[in-house]
Amino acid sequence: MAQSETNSAEELMTAYLDHEMDEQESEAFEAMFADSPETQEELADLRQVLQLVQGLPEVEAPPDFFEKVAKKIRRRKLLEGDVPVFITVSFQVLSVMVVLVIAAVYTMIHLDRDPAAKLEKDPKAAVEVDGDTEVVGEAGAEASPAGPSSPASAD
Amino acid sequence: MSTGGAAAEDGDRGSASDEAGGVTIDAKTARRMEQDRRDKILVRRLKLGDERAFQELVQTYQNRVFGLVFRMIGNRQEAEDLAQDVFLTVYKAIGSYRGEGRFYTWLYRVASNTCKNRIKYLKGRHFNTRVDVDDNTEAQMPSREGGALHSLQSQVPGPEAMIQGQRLQRAIQRELANLDEEHRLLIVLRDIEGLPYADIMRITGLPAGTVKSRLHRARVALKERMKSYLR
Repeated sequence: MAQSETNSAEELMTAYLDHEMDEQESEAFEAMFADSPETQEELADLRQVLQLVQGLPEVEAPPDFFEKVAKKIRRRKLLEGDVPVFITVSFQVLSVMVVLVIAAVYTMIHLDRDPAAKLEKDPKAAVEVDGDTEVVGEAGAEASPAGPSSPASAD
Repeated sequence: MSTGGAAAEDGDRGSASDEAGGVTIDAKTARRMEQDRRDKILVRRLKLGDERAFQELVQTYQNRVFGLVFRMIGNRQEAEDLAQDVFLTVYKAIGSYRGEGRFYTWLYRVASNTCKNRIKYLKGRHFNTRVDVDDNTEAQMPSREGGALHSLQSQVPGPEAMIQGQRLQRAIQRELANLDEEHRLLIVLRDIEGLPYADIMRITGLPAGTVKSRLHRARVALKERMKSYLR
């Protein structure tokens, strides 16, 4: 009985401090403690603490927060042996992949234009030199005054 | 049905109202309803495996979750790690979220349980909660309505307002970290985060009366600890 009364007094105090009472209830509550300076002092102190707590500044997560969460999920998934299909491949990984693809395409185009590379593909261009197979270009062979024994000039 | 009544019950005060078709919805309630609608869509997409939906959810709630965890733990480094774990749990457990109630109350429940578990773990390891308020620059901690940091400082008159304001912040965070974790959680949810009672009940699983009486005891405990700073 006494416990429930205490609880109810505490509930009333909270409701009063949080402005959860209507005008009539507030007035009745104030009248109850009008002649109790201790309770009034308690209320004033609690109001002050509330003001201080409510005045605490908001905090913000770091700007790379999502990246870190995504990284953690990927790591956990790898540890658990799952294939990380859900989380976005991060921007950095994507960038590296794009650079690699560009580099591969560029190399292929460049190889096609490279006469030496073309010759490499041509079996007729392979000339036996002292038992070793040396690759020489047709143009290079013609242009070279030293004949087949001189090393091929690629350009 | 007037949702304005529900808002008053939830403790929303001083928000602008507009009337449409006889139903009064205050601006704050309208914003909440819009957020709830967006959350529902994001959760549905997330359950279908949409990676962008998860990113949007994290970016929507990262500051609030980080704020809650930071106030509970009192250490920025630890809070960051823990807040990441909260979203990790959300990612893993989203399938078990049945969509009852508001998404953010479920998210906060995950966050508060994660905090309680970590506090227990840290207690076992005799972790001394270091209160790092010093490194909280204003850039990291933007404030509401002209600066909450300012509002703390303005309570201390004189040229030393800045230093005294920071001292008070440190003291509050330190004393908060010394409270029992149940008390700490209620103060963080109600007095710092400003959540309505209805949502606090959903997060904690406590009935209204218990929330109010425990909150009172939490405030009294904090007041006792803050006595030397009052007046």
